[in-house]
Amino acid sequence: MASITLRDVCLDYPLYGAYDFSLKRRLLGRLLRQGSEMRTIRAIDNVSIEAKAGARIGLAGPNGSGKSTLLRLIAGVFPASSGQVAISGNIVPLLGLGAGVNLDFVAADNISLLLRISGRKPTPDILDEIWAFTELDDRMRRLPLRMFSSGMLMRVLFATATAFPADILLLDEWLSVVDENFSAKAEERLLKMVETAAIVIIASHDHGLLRRTCNSIINLDHGRIASQIPLDAPVPFPLELREKRA
Amino acid sequence: MSGAHFPMMTLNAPTRRPSVLHIFKVYYPDLFGGTLSVIRDICTGLKDTFTAAVLVCSRSGGAPKIVVNDVAVERVHSFGDVLSLPAAPTYPWRLWRRITEHDLLALHAPFPLADLVFAFGLGRGRPLVVHWHADIVTHAGLRFIVEPMMRRTLRRAAAIIVSDPVLVETTPLLQEFADKCHAVPFGVDVAKYDRPAVQPADVNARGRLVLACGRLVPYKGFDVLVRAAHSRNFEVWIVGEGREREHLEQLIRDYGLQDRVRLLGSVPESERVKLMRIADVFVMPSVTNAETFGLVQLEAMAAGRPVINTALDTGVPYVARDGIEAITVPPGDAPALADAIETLINDPDRRRRMGQAARHRAVTKYSTTAFREGVETVYRRVVAEEAIAAKDVGLSAPASRPHTAGGFVGAIRIAAALAWSDMRHRYVRSLLGPFWMSIQMAIMVGVLGSVIGHFSNAGAVARLPMLAASLTAWTFLNSVVLDATTALQGATSLIKDRALPPVIFLLQCTFRQGLFALHNATVPLILWLALTPRDISGAFVALPGLALFIVCTLALSLVLGALATRYRDIKPIIESSLTLAFLSSPIIWTSDMIDRSSPVMRLNPLTHLFAIWREPLVTGHVATTSLLYVLGCLAVLLLAAVVTVTHLRKAAFWI
Repeated sequence: MASITLRDVCLDYPLYGAYDFSLKRRLLGRLLRQGSEMRTIRAIDNVSIEAKAGARIGLAGPNGSGKSTLLRLIAGVFPASSGQVAISGNIVPLLGLGAGVNLDFVAADNISLLLRISGRKPTPDILDEIWAFTELDDRMRRLPLRMFSSGMLMRVLFATATAFPADILLLDEWLSVVDENFSAKAEERLLKMVETAAIVIIASHDHGLLRRTCNSIINLDHGRIASQIPLDAPVPFPLELREKRA
Repeated sequence: MSGAHFPMMTLNAPTRRPSVLHIFKVYYPDLFGGTLSVIRDICTGLKDTFTAAVLVCSRSGGAPKIVVNDVAVERVHSFGDVLSLPAAPTYPWRLWRRITEHDLLALHAPFPLADLVFAFGLGRGRPLVVHWHADIVTHAGLRFIVEPMMRRTLRRAAAIIVSDPVLVETTPLLQEFADKCHAVPFGVDVAKYDRPAVQPADVNARGRLVLACGRLVPYKGFDVLVRAAHSRNFEVWIVGEGREREHLEQLIRDYGLQDRVRLLGSVPESERVKLMRIADVFVMPSVTNAETFGLVQLEAMAAGRPVINTALDTGVPYVARDGIEAITVPPGDAPALADAIETLINDPDRRRRMGQAARHRAVTKYSTTAFREGVETVYRRVVAEEAIAAKDVGLSAPASRPHTAGGFVGAIRIAAALAWSDMRHRYVRSLLGPFWMSIQMAIMVGVLGSVIGHFSNAGAVARLPMLAASLTAWTFLNSVVLDATTALQGATSLIKDRALPPVIFLLQCTFRQGLFALHNATVPLILWLALTPRDISGAFVALPGLALFIVCTLALSLVLGALATRYRDIKPIIESSLTLAFLSSPIIWTSDMIDRSSPVMRLNPLTHLFAIWREPLVTGHVATTSLLYVLGCLAVLLLAAVVTVTHLRKAAFWI
């Protein structure tokens, strides 16, 4: 069963200045007994979150309030400095769509590679299914991605990233889907994914979106939980996918 | 590899008892002690519900598979103890092979050798219960290596069993997993100590016999007890054997206590029970938190003895409580210990009261039945949960689960896929792909061959295949290391946005350059086929050397790749060092062209790294010194690589 338990979790993000990347400087500093105190910023400050299957959590807060860092911490990118992190379930982090894309490769190869990166075996059936979802011409499968327009590229990436259901779905800034016609379909797919995922955590500036999709909203401020608002009736429809960037 | 279907099979065959694999460093008959008797009690106590097997290390070199008290014990050969750990290089591998044969794994911690297996994500298909016997106390300086591995093991464990709830509060590592911890106090078979005729404090008329039991190892604090006996008048008998014996004997002689302090050595259990019953005071002077519970004090309590124990941060002062069943003194404080002993010796009445209270507590709180049921409950629950989880997996559509085996195996698969795609990328950009590099190398071999031909008169043409092979190997090593220095920065978005483990991208370098090296290897192969009599026997002897070469390169790239990401000024140093190494090592020239005995030549690890596969190609055998030298370097590199991999968790901060 999928579950996320964060108990009093803190994350001290080390701030590496240009000099902190220098070994010579570090050794020299130790030799001269200069305070080599590493500067850190508390990106996550004493956060406790308990999420069981069915939780849809929205993370809100101004820029730099720790939304993305918290998602990455849950995804296992950053280790917590203190506190307890216990996560069970298969995590699908969709924090950036473009990761791992090679524009020189033809679309089909890119899809295969992206699937392998997320630990799936690309079978012809799965590839056909993904391509069908993009609604692009079949001949374009054999074209390198650099010839795609940004809208078409987004279709391919979105279709690949959302091809499999997840236990825990992490979304940073609602995925922007450009094409007008495609958005309804993408909306439906994403909604279905949100429905089948046991736990969804979405970070966004769009409060309206969070209210529609989530059953509780956590407001972050300077890495702390400023407030936690439970929303009683999650009304997933109608969902507007057009993202408003702050 | 997902292991999902194996537990299903056990569901289909409900008549079979589930089997438990107990994982520890040592077992009977190689050693006796508290932890071992706990494992033995679990094995025999649960024999109606679980089939038990034990996998341990042994120095004795006896039969690898024996049966002790109806329990199958498999002993992996160990070369002795290094840093309190058995040096059994094959243990992790053997453990990995055994895991799938059992339904439940019971790891008796601390045992870093087993943590190594679980830290690499192997054996995920089986539920794991950790019996937490003690924290790492000795060699605390190496903690930074071991702790991340122990954390991974605990994270993966379905349940953790401790002997006393206080351990969860006082052990930081356990605090992180407090919700998985179950306190199951050890039990003692009180009936064994029943002897109606014996009344507490009646046997020894003088009332001054102090008994202590345990392996003679530093943390037991027997030296404190010996010092406490100095200038007092009680007698001390210490039961047990161990590496501290000589030291204790010396101490006893130094204080002139030979007549009052005796080391009895190891005695059979029946004798020990008798000794427990005739002693007046039982002392457990342990000095570090390695003593988590003190099973032996529980035995003394069962024998109705008053106890003197120490104020450790573990279960010790909670098993026998100060003022009720025991007097608790500060650890390592000889005068306080001596005072406490004298207090009890001079007060027979108090001894009797404490002894009765101790026996009462042993009977009521620490019964073997309660221990057995506690462990059985945890085991059963964990096996049941696993069966349910397996059922869930079986019910959901098979395609909806990732096909990765998780952990290290998954990382290798992804790295291989990425490397394969890198190679294909070369072919996308040009028809010849990586063969362009091979052509470059062929030209380089031709030019260098003709130049070197002028240096030495002996058959320049005959040297060409070896020159080409050496250049291929060097290009591999050089490119892997150079690629590794920038690999993590190049993979920023995959690490940060897709949460892929950073180690993947360092492995990718070796895999990718390995594929390129296979392309380049056509040059030496063609030259070899064309220019030399085709004698293939040396090639087989060269294969292990070549494998060592690759493993060394991989380990080196892990270490340098991580370092160069953390400290950006290392990259230019690595670059210039590689150029220097290329020139100062026998790669384009051979050692017989110059003075063989030059110290730079002999100390240069690259000389030997090339020798271990080049010599067999030429002469058909490997020089032992080179082999040993390389194995030594490899051991250091592997250790550094393990440390690096555990620290790579922080790599996301660096990029």
